[in-house]
Amino acid sequence: MTESSTSAKNRSARAAASIGSSVIPLKFGDDPQVWACWLYYEDRLTQSEIAEAMGISRATVNAYLADARERGIVNITLDPQRLASLTVAQELKRHFGLHDCLVVPSSEPAASLIDRLGAAGSLVLRQFVRSGDTIAVGWGRTILSVAAATTLTGLQDVRVVQATGSVTTGQPDSPEICAARLASAIQAECVPITAPSIVSSSAMRDMLMAEPLIQSQFQALSHASRAVFGVSSLRPNSTIHSSGFFDHAPLQTYLGLNAVGVIAGRFIDVQGRSVRGPLGDRTLGISLESLRGIERRIAVAGGIDKVPAILGTLRGGYADILVTDAATGKALLEADGVKGLTRPTQRPQTEPSAPAEVQRRHVKKFLNDPDDIVDEMLDGAVRAHGAYLEPVPGTRRAFMAREAPREGKVGLVVGGGSGHEPCFLGYVGPGMADAVAVGNVFSSPPPDPIARAAQAVSGGEGVLFIYGNYAGDTMNFEMAAELVQANGIPVRTVVTTDDIASSRAEDRDGRRGVAGNVLIFKAAGAACDKGWSLDACERAARKANLQTYTMGVALEPCSMPQTRRYNFSIGPQDMEVGVGIHGEPGVAREPMQSADAVVDMVMNRIFTEMPSQSGDRVAVLVNSFGSTPLMELYVLYRRVEQRLKTKGLTVAARWVGHYCTSLDMVGASISVMHLDDELAELLAHPCDTPFFRVGK
Amino acid sequence: MQDLGSKRLIAMFSQAAAAIDAQRDHLSDLDGAIADADHGMTMSLGFRAVTSALAKLDAEVSPSEVFRTAASAFLDAVGASTGPLYASGFLNAAKRLDGSDVLDPAAMLEGIAAGIAARGKGSRGEKTMLDVWLPAAEAAQQALRENPADLWTYVLGAAADGAESTRAMMAVRGRAARVGERSIGHIDPGAVSALLIVEAMADTLGNEPSEG
Repeated sequence: MTESSTSAKNRSARAAASIGSSVIPLKFGDDPQVWACWLYYEDRLTQSEIAEAMGISRATVNAYLADARERGIVNITLDPQRLASLTVAQELKRHFGLHDCLVVPSSEPAASLIDRLGAAGSLVLRQFVRSGDTIAVGWGRTILSVAAATTLTGLQDVRVVQATGSVTTGQPDSPEICAARLASAIQAECVPITAPSIVSSSAMRDMLMAEPLIQSQFQALSHASRAVFGVSSLRPNSTIHSSGFFDHAPLQTYLGLNAVGVIAGRFIDVQGRSVRGPLGDRTLGISLESLRGIERRIAVAGGIDKVPAILGTLRGGYADILVTDAATGKALLEADGVKGLTRPTQRPQTEPSAPAEVQRRHVKKFLNDPDDIVDEMLDGAVRAHGAYLEPVPGTRRAFMAREAPREGKVGLVVGGGSGHEPCFLGYVGPGMADAVAVGNVFSSPPPDPIARAAQAVSGGEGVLFIYGNYAGDTMNFEMAAELVQANGIPVRTVVTTDDIASSRAEDRDGRRGVAGNVLIFKAAGAACDKGWSLDACERAARKANLQTYTMGVALEPCSMPQTRRYNFSIGPQDMEVGVGIHGEPGVAREPMQSADAVVDMVMNRIFTEMPSQSGDRVAVLVNSFGSTPLMELYVLYRRVEQRLKTKGLTVAARWVGHYCTSLDMVGASISVMHLDDELAELLAHPCDTPFFRVGK
Repeated sequence: MQDLGSKRLIAMFSQAAAAIDAQRDHLSDLDGAIADADHGMTMSLGFRAVTSALAKLDAEVSPSEVFRTAASAFLDAVGASTGPLYASGFLNAAKRLDGSDVLDPAAMLEGIAAGIAARGKGSRGEKTMLDVWLPAAEAAQQALRENPADLWTYVLGAAADGAESTRAMMAVRGRAARVGERSIGHIDPGAVSALLIVEAMADTLGNEPSEG
């Protein structure tokens, strides 16, 4: 029974109870506490009514209800979002020694964050602004939002003073507008600073500061008993760059001086130290020292990008009241080394804890010297697949198809780290890749083997590189491309970005390449095999990449051969959604769900990105990350096909198995390629490689 | 006396290799928190390759030759992202040191930092090894202006602060960038290994008896 699960008031029960009977109704067994709880929480009787109904004293009812809480008959649940915010707020207050802290729940969309911070900021003002106060006010979108959310009446002799000089660029959130708005919202007198916030020289500043009018305005500022201000980040996407407050050039200088943020026009570093730079003595506004001297200093700021700046604000003591959101608050605590602030549990864990798992030091593996594993694997692979592969001369880390090079054909070179077998060397052969460069475990190959592979398979029509979008692969393949092009061989590159979980749709180019690689290699390999030009092969590969959508889910982490330890951890009841093929943490950790629910989650995500119509064709790849057996893959595929069918989509080709693994990770990914005639034809084109075959 | 700089430099690489080897698992654990847990292994592999390549060098090489050798050994051994980054850093340091038998630490640090920054198109504040290399290089310049005798004290302080500062940053580059805000609170493994190298530099290149 939970308080939140109240049924509709049950009048008849109340009536029945009020008849009065000391015999416990059968449905409560012989437990008077359960009966008392029922009457209290479900039937909403008062404690006196319950006493009457049960024929006991009110004190006994009270004791029953208290005991019931202790015995766990009743669980009180708080809205987890609110609870989380409260926990974070308490912890922020304690850790940073704040006077007070208000944390709003983090929720999508981020756009409304400013509004929610504004509303919370106005709540704080209501509590902390008294008659007679002078309020120094900063500027920016958040402060404007605070002003917009505030209406306070009944205060007397309150003054609102600009904390900085003015800007004249007509920004809607300029210091003068923020101050004027707030003043009118609380019916206060507004004291502007009628001088620019930044002037051209320190001499000019000194002259202005000597003006009696400006002096009187700063005099008012010096009496501030309250401050309310926002915190600006200096990160490249910060609004500070478009605020009109600063020139771009000095901001770069300040970044170089380790500044992380701006409060009331002053630059601070992450420790909260004032950063001295070119604008320091050209700025008209409150000094950091004076700010710190104000009795109550309210900072209103949220957003992960602001974490270093807010940290500096708190460490420097510039704020003693913080208004922020839960995600930012949590990040602040983590950044300052506070551990163990996990999701609040709704109730004490009463489930018997699983028998302590034996902490094995090492995962068992078939190994000789771990440092030799990649070379030994490659030796074995060449022995096993000698009919397809041979080493590229001059390197141990590149292999080419026996048939390559073929005159007049574009050479396709793929590659990446090892640990993904059969990716990438399992796809070398007629109709697919001509050569592969292999790196260490989960590490890009260096430029040398890539370049040698490219030279070896060049058939006079140029070489196409296809690899997953990772910083390391990009740098090494780029360096290799430079080497190869210097020898007169044209090189084109297509970087795969099929992992839809790795960033938002607008950032398609920033996404990583995962199992969908295999389908893209297949399409590109067919284009090369058909003798298409380098331009046409590149175009086909690019299209194949754009129309392939993959998302993976990990159930257990993978372990590295060199350490024989897991490279991340997943809780016993959890799964990592959107996991990368190197065991990179995914985008979210969620409680474990049924196979169908997992597929639905993935397919829903794919459907929101894939612009398909009923009757369209798709190709599907259900891929194991290493340790998930075919049995489970078929269970997943079954649901994938059901979902595609209800959308009216035809599965023109499907592959189910181990295609792009992450060592021994438990989990799977689902890739869908949206086909047009050309892609369908390329996928159906014959190929013959150790791990991918399409018949004639 | 003429090859003093090179000898010290070779000793520096072997000390850095030992330090990284000793911290291999720790570095990988740090990496596991935000990326793919291979940083310790990659660095250890790379520095081992460097020391074995340096062991084959003639005694009479110049400091810039040491850096050139280190660059290509490191790159060929690891690839990954650290390969091109450190290879570019070492190569750039070699260029700065070309034509001199004396090891100029400020030029060396500046060369490494600029080489890495150019290859990775990175800057400070992005939770990477540059948060150590750039402040270290700047601190060396500052020491030259203020107190050249204490150069390595300046550099070490800046490098350690730089590594620590990555804890509060959100990764925007490399694999750690994929976890976005979840990277906050974790110190960057690339910054930690960079600090190990700077420490090895201070140990072996510091306390110069006199101007070589």
